[in-house]
Amino acid sequence: MEESYKRAGLALPRRTLLKGAGAAGLSTALGAPFINRLYAMEAHPLAGKKIDMNILGIAGWLPSSLGVKMSPLFADYVKQRYGYDVTFGFAEAPFSDLFQKAATSLATKSQEYNIIISDSQWLGALAKPGWILKLNDIIAKNKGLQLDWYSQTVIDTYMAYPDGTKDVWGLPQEGDTKALYVRKDLVQDPKEQAAFMAKYNMKLPSTFEDYENLNADDYEKVMEFFTRPEKGLWGAAWQYSRVYDFCTCPLFSAMWSSGGEIWDAKTGQIEGVLNTDANAAVMERYKSWLKYMPPGATNYGIAEEIDVFTQGKVATCLQWAAVGLAMINAENKDKVMVVPPPKFGKGAEAKRIYCMGGQPWVINAFNDDAKMRVAIDFMNWWYLPETAKEYAKRGGNPCDKATLSSSEFDDVNPWNRAYKFMLEPGRSRDFWHDPKYSEMLSLQQEGFTSFMTGQSKSARGVLDYIACGQQQILYDAGTAKKEPSGVCGNVSL
Amino acid sequence: MTAVSGSPRSSRLRRTRVAQALDNRGTLIATLLVPVLIFFVLFNTIPTLWLLGLSFYNYSLTSGSPPSFVGFRNFIQIFNNRNNIWADLSRTFTFVVFGVGIQTVLGLALGFLFWGSKEMPGRRVALTMLFTPMVLTPVATGTFFRFIYDPDFGVLNVILHGLFSTRPINFLSEPGTAFWAVLAVDCWMWTPFMILMALAALGSVPKAELEAAEVDRLPWRKRLTLVIWHHGKFILMLGILLRTIDSFKTLDLIIPLTKGGPGQETRLVAMEVNKQAFESFNMGWSSAYSVLLLLISIAMTSVFIFILNLRRRRGA
Amino acid sequence: MNGRGFRQHLYYAALWLVALFFFAPVAWIVLSSFKTREQILAVPPKLIFVPTLANYTDLLSRQGLLLQVFNSIFLSVVAVCVAVVVSFLAAFCFSRFKPKGTDFLMFLLLSIRMLPGPAVILPVYLMYAGFGWKDNHFWLVMFYAMFSIPFSVWILKGFLDGVSVRFDETGLVNGGSWFHVIFRVVMPQVKPGLIAAFIFNMIFVWNEFLFNFIIGGVSTQNIPYALAVGTYSDGGVNWTFIASMTTIYVIPPILFIYFFQKYLLVGMTFGTVRGEV
Repeated sequence: MEESYKRAGLALPRRTLLKGAGAAGLSTALGAPFINRLYAMEAHPLAGKKIDMNILGIAGWLPSSLGVKMSPLFADYVKQRYGYDVTFGFAEAPFSDLFQKAATSLATKSQEYNIIISDSQWLGALAKPGWILKLNDIIAKNKGLQLDWYSQTVIDTYMAYPDGTKDVWGLPQEGDTKALYVRKDLVQDPKEQAAFMAKYNMKLPSTFEDYENLNADDYEKVMEFFTRPEKGLWGAAWQYSRVYDFCTCPLFSAMWSSGGEIWDAKTGQIEGVLNTDANAAVMERYKSWLKYMPPGATNYGIAEEIDVFTQGKVATCLQWAAVGLAMINAENKDKVMVVPPPKFGKGAEAKRIYCMGGQPWVINAFNDDAKMRVAIDFMNWWYLPETAKEYAKRGGNPCDKATLSSSEFDDVNPWNRAYKFMLEPGRSRDFWHDPKYSEMLSLQQEGFTSFMTGQSKSARGVLDYIACGQQQILYDAGTAKKEPSGVCGNVSL
Repeated sequence: MTAVSGSPRSSRLRRTRVAQALDNRGTLIATLLVPVLIFFVLFNTIPTLWLLGLSFYNYSLTSGSPPSFVGFRNFIQIFNNRNNIWADLSRTFTFVVFGVGIQTVLGLALGFLFWGSKEMPGRRVALTMLFTPMVLTPVATGTFFRFIYDPDFGVLNVILHGLFSTRPINFLSEPGTAFWAVLAVDCWMWTPFMILMALAALGSVPKAELEAAEVDRLPWRKRLTLVIWHHGKFILMLGILLRTIDSFKTLDLIIPLTKGGPGQETRLVAMEVNKQAFESFNMGWSSAYSVLLLLISIAMTSVFIFILNLRRRRGA
Repeated sequence: MNGRGFRQHLYYAALWLVALFFFAPVAWIVLSSFKTREQILAVPPKLIFVPTLANYTDLLSRQGLLLQVFNSIFLSVVAVCVAVVVSFLAAFCFSRFKPKGTDFLMFLLLSIRMLPGPAVILPVYLMYAGFGWKDNHFWLVMFYAMFSIPFSVWILKGFLDGVSVRFDETGLVNGGSWFHVIFRVVMPQVKPGLIAAFIFNMIFVWNEFLFNFIIGGVSTQNIPYALAVGTYSDGGVNWTFIASMTTIYVIPPILFIYFFQKYLLVGMTFGTVRGEV
């Protein structure tokens, strides 16, 4: 991991607790969480002042609201330590509208939102116009921000833009991966297990390890087995909705896991990379899974999945690890286990590469000095080990190696083990990070959902349409070298 | 004005200087018009010119680069059906024709039904209930209808199942039903408006002529064409036109219902402009698209005014 | 006589059924606002249940609710008041003096209202971004006022055309100034037009979402905005919030159409059709 640091330009390898100015305070903070009563107040340019901060976060997204609910702890912390008052306002918008909200505000060079919880794929769109603060210098000056992240995936997803460079624009707020939520009470029921064995001559996967080794073919059997519409039970819920990236994430996961690619990040080439027969076959397969899902499945996004899962209508559900608290409530808490989603392919060849979720903190580049200072203090506080631990305890997913490797982390929340598993190198990746993200996404969401709902019949035709459209977008933006080919004149949905 | 004896001129001497200044016809007109002109220039003329100008540029807010002049490229791309926009236009056309058509037929039928219900007990409450869909926040309407349509939890599927034992239908996500499901919500919201217009049209028919027709024992069909249609047609046409314009703009309702999906099934023009401008931040391209819509709306306004003038001429 | 009475009852019953049919979805929202989340999602839907007020108490404890309610009221009332005054003056001018270009101006005013919302707001947004006017009560009010003006001018001009110029002349002859004539003599005569313009612009701004979302911001958010962003909560779709908020929010417009029913027609048709239903 140290290597990955150097690559990302973060010089200090590992946080050592008793080094540097900030660290002295930290050690005592361990004893009295968040409030350092023993040390004298440090000289701080904002001492005695009162600052109002605004955070923009994702509406209805638990990790965002957790970040906000914890902000009073930060206020206490700085009051004690630096002697200034800070209050937080919170603005929110749903996933599908948050970028719109952030961008319309930042484009006016406004300080409306001082700290923003951005979705990872927007880094490019926010960084390219210079709307958010480049963090390399800040990180170099603040030892508290020089963390050892759990894997390179964290850096690639939440921090670096353009991909592969050392420029850092965000810091992980919520780490998130896909995970499979499984009804333990069903898969561990001996009667079900016997029936499954009788039907498929195979053991019903019922433990974390079983699912770790499960491939999509066998997972289909599980889905088929539990699909009992007459009893109001279905095998699975995956996302197919037109909204935001809901249909894209599982589909891209299946494409990658099946050996496909979605673009060539270096040349910006999409045509010929995305629209292949192999990817088309993956689309066909993903569509065929609808038969194991409730009739509303083509509407499913994050919230709809939570509704059907918590109402006990599905046996398994591919969902973000981040919404574990909502998926697992007081009623079903003993009936759910969270495991890695299935691999694609056969035997040793089988691969598992799923979409990353999660959000980085980004800082408004137009903040005045005082707000900038508070934002940096906030980041320093957020990555204190106690804060990270508290965050995990409340249901959030930190990304630093120290917290994730601690012995108790696996048991803090039921999904932590699966989350950590998926965060291992090579198992998850993010897509695009391009300033044109939003436009490319809505284009393909139209295409994908058109196919999933049966409006467009040919998967390959849909992929051609998407690839041509995206190629044009990137070509117009100067990212792609090649113009869309002549074939593109004739494609349409 | 001069028809009245004692023209304003004769009384001028008796008034103050401010009033005198205002009496200067030019000054008075200017004073009355300045506020509206300020609003108009600031919020309409300038933005419209801005829009026209931008439509010749490639300008993406998220690219970080300044607008670059591309001549007619945006318009050529529109013409070449980039992003399937002609499909949006034809879909919007279908939406308007069917939406307004259904609302007009239903509105007329129910308007006739409510005609002559003046004595009905609790009429005011009944009408208030009838007109509520028009004033409900569209965002809330859309969200709640999504719930009503929901195949897993929605009440509509339960009712259909109870009546016809149908299997759950995913109204908003099936290509065969999504468009019509959205249209149905639009009809629910706006049929009351057409009822209102139908009532107004019927109300404009002079009682005497109706009574005369009654006395003459004119057959119903003749009464309809000769008496009722003759007097009511203008109001009815106005109603149809206003609905046409509004339905052309439909947006708030679709955002929570389907976001334009599945695929592009419910993507109307307003949705696409909204998406291109405020999700993808393609300001140049969206401007060109808006210019096209501006032309369409100017055309519709012209028709509206033409019909109004027709009425004025006839009425005079 | 009896038979007729029966038919009469049948007729009224049919009318009530129609009204109830259109009201049913609204009633369903209202009913849902008194249910728990589980009851809302129950299949088959529950018609009989123990009502709860928890959704309303939750609503009151929402952060920012007061601000949103205040904004909803403030934005709609102030914007519409400004618009009605400005429009009245303009309409008076158009109606009485018919300055050159009246028809053209009336035409342009109307065409603003014919354009889809995003096309209207796009250049305005860029202008607001350029001048730093976004998320500002004053400029949002101004924009809403602008958007309400065409409608009001059209309504009021229709009414003013109906007020005989003799009133003006009598006023002037009797020594009144134009100011006196406009506000004391003519204005009271077009009170129904003013009320109609006021109510129907109010309802528009009250329910407006897109403009608030694009050129408004943290400090100017209104209730439709809250409804849109509050659709999702930590545990899925936030049905209880949507139901209870909508129920409260729809009360003022319903009261308006109940008490001002006779202005409904004129309000809904840009003042081009007058009369009662």
